[in-house]
Amino acid sequence: MSLRARIDALADFVETRTGAKRLLSHALDEPIAGGARWAYVFGSMLTAVFGLQAVTGLLLMSAYSPSTQTAWASVHHVTYVTQGGWLVRGLHHFGAQAMIVLLGMHLFQVALFGAYKRPREVNWWFGLLLLGATLAFSLTGYLLPWDQKGYWATRVATNIAGTIPVVGASQQALIQGGSDYSSLTLTRFYALHVGVLPAALIGALVAHIALFRKHGVTPPHGADLTRKDLFFPRQLWKDVQAAIVVFGVIVYFAFRHHGAPLDAPADPASDYPARPEWYFLSLFELLKYFHGPLELLGTVVLPGLAGAYLFLLPLLDRKESLRARDRVLPLLPLFGLGVAVVVLTVMALRHDARDEKFQAARRRADLSAAKALALAAKGIPPEGPLAMMKADPEVLGEALFTKHCQGCHVLGDLGSREEASAPVLDGWGSEAWVLSMLDDPDHDARFGRTPYKGMMPSMTRCKPDDASCKPMKPEDARSVAAFLAAGADDGAPPPTDAVRRDAARVRSGEAIVKTRCTTCHLYKGEGDDGGEGTAPELSGWGSRAWIRAQVMNPASKATYREKALAPGMKKYMPAFEGELKPAEADVLAAWVHQRARR
Amino acid sequence: MADDDRPEDPGVGRRGLVSWLACGGAAALGVALGAPAVVFVTSPLRDAKTGGARWIKTIPESALAANAARKVTIVGEERDAWTVRKDVELGSVWLVRRQGAVVAFSAVCPHLGCAVAHEAGPSPGSLDGARFACPCHTSAFDMDGKRREGPAPRGLDELATKIEGGFVWVDFRRFRIGVTEKAELG
Repeated sequence: MSLRARIDALADFVETRTGAKRLLSHALDEPIAGGARWAYVFGSMLTAVFGLQAVTGLLLMSAYSPSTQTAWASVHHVTYVTQGGWLVRGLHHFGAQAMIVLLGMHLFQVALFGAYKRPREVNWWFGLLLLGATLAFSLTGYLLPWDQKGYWATRVATNIAGTIPVVGASQQALIQGGSDYSSLTLTRFYALHVGVLPAALIGALVAHIALFRKHGVTPPHGADLTRKDLFFPRQLWKDVQAAIVVFGVIVYFAFRHHGAPLDAPADPASDYPARPEWYFLSLFELLKYFHGPLELLGTVVLPGLAGAYLFLLPLLDRKESLRARDRVLPLLPLFGLGVAVVVLTVMALRHDARDEKFQAARRRADLSAAKALALAAKGIPPEGPLAMMKADPEVLGEALFTKHCQGCHVLGDLGSREEASAPVLDGWGSEAWVLSMLDDPDHDARFGRTPYKGMMPSMTRCKPDDASCKPMKPEDARSVAAFLAAGADDGAPPPTDAVRRDAARVRSGEAIVKTRCTTCHLYKGEGDDGGEGTAPELSGWGSRAWIRAQVMNPASKATYREKALAPGMKKYMPAFEGELKPAEADVLAAWVHQRARR
Repeated sequence: MADDDRPEDPGVGRRGLVSWLACGGAAALGVALGAPAVVFVTSPLRDAKTGGARWIKTIPESALAANAARKVTIVGEERDAWTVRKDVELGSVWLVRRQGAVVAFSAVCPHLGCAVAHEAGPSPGSLDGARFACPCHTSAFDMDGKRREGPAPRGLDELATKIEGGFVWVDFRRFRIGVTEKAELG
């Protein structure tokens, strides 16, 4: 028997027992009235991208762990540790977005060609069901990495579900698995995302394709119906070319983002500039225009009306004609809807681009994300990525400063210069800071907004009526600054242009401090001949130990003295001994020390 | 879309070419998706070996009697997928002191991975007649770790030891189970 004959015999064996060949012929030899068309590729594209989502989704399932402690960590592991993981996640992430775009195109093509008309109404409704399922996929999938972006965006969505009258609270609790977000929210979303929705979508898709095969394509008005193609090969070749383009676009984005973005771990206590994914931005923008009791209009009524219109479209447009010109009225809302989505999306993007506060918050969020990735590379503790972040001295230091200090002080972009009632700490401990203090201690950025205003005179300038005043020479002021800044270095190497690199200048600064400054200040516990009790200790000034002592108790004499907490010193700096744990005080002091000299 | 407007009359050659292109393109897409999928699924095969010494402090040398065996727990840092845990019990080893030297054996039976037990000999203070025995499939080893009886393919896996600061330190490693050669696991 020749090879060819053997193959044929094998094919016959399989065919008589399974009917596979007939099935394949049935799939491929679908007649296409009016011939193959580019306009028909969208449905096939959607099926193909859904296949991509199913394959990459199964792979991700094998590496994902849905709990608040492990979700972010496992997604980080997939993206940055597992070989090929970044690409698999990237394909899934951007594949989901491709589905949204293709759904829009498919919907418009079908509407434009009038393919929803009798007898295809039911198939149009199955299509809408698929649209809903896809949006539900997007919403549930967005939360799963449990990063800031997904967490906050999804919270807004579930809170909207909670505002619906009567059923709102129970509906939200059912979705979330409780009254608030927890690991149960993740397991529920996960079950929806990998179990319920795939089953629903596949079921609806089978019905959609079966009904499509039953009724066939809807060629556009004026098409040459004498022409007939089979699906294979001409339509399939068009579909394959389109699929290659779509796949190329998805791969391009996946490479550009090293897979897909991963924001910092979800932190319910943070202030995050929450935004939904771009395809929901129009709904997000809409919410800005409906206030108070009208809110439901933006969240439920208008989107609901849009959905109702799409559902009713086949019943509204019952004329036989497929010509778009004859169907302007029923199609008008669809195009209105399309324009509204585009306009609102552009508006949302423009508002954010011009909103400096949003941009600053976004930059902080990006820094936090970069920090999380750097920390996670060293391994994540069993308590989870959020605990890992909170324990990091830099993150914890900033959090403590934000909580306890920025109400009065300013440091970097923390605190408000307009409302500050304590010195601006940028550059605190540096020579420049000391020099500005010697020159104008009552400047708004120094002690001008504190109870100490007017207590320290300028050392470099004299009041016109003060005959006994001898201004400090600029050289001496620089020496004092060099000496004090050297103490504040706390072992850190001084900048290359610092005067304190010259040991002789530091020594001469010390001599001046010991003689001239101790008329009011303390130096190693000695000084203050006037007995005022207000000027602080200068030894170790600006060091971590000095900061820590000042934070815990500003009246301990290690920094300021008893007067620091006197009732007459309105808005004085309080002692934080009771509020801060000793370890927290260490972290805060180190953070302020390092941040002030950044 | 120009060709859509002409009635189709493809020659056999053109139809054949389009068929090949369609099938080839579909196959290429399948490969483009399949390749990263295979890399992803098989990534455990290419995990980097941890390698290098992994010295773990155990008990004080003085706690180990002469001519006796003692099971000690190995406590160290564990990397479990994405989680790093500190001070976790990673496993245990048998320490044997004989003529001053301290020898360590992995407590994992090289047959199929059960934990081996120690059976003391008839006379206390002597290793004569003492042995390690696996409770699962009757493998037994002498106090030098050599296989005496049972289905184990090799002797007990010896681990390097050192005495530092009065404590016994063990270079803790794991080895492949069920094979003749002693091959370290990553």
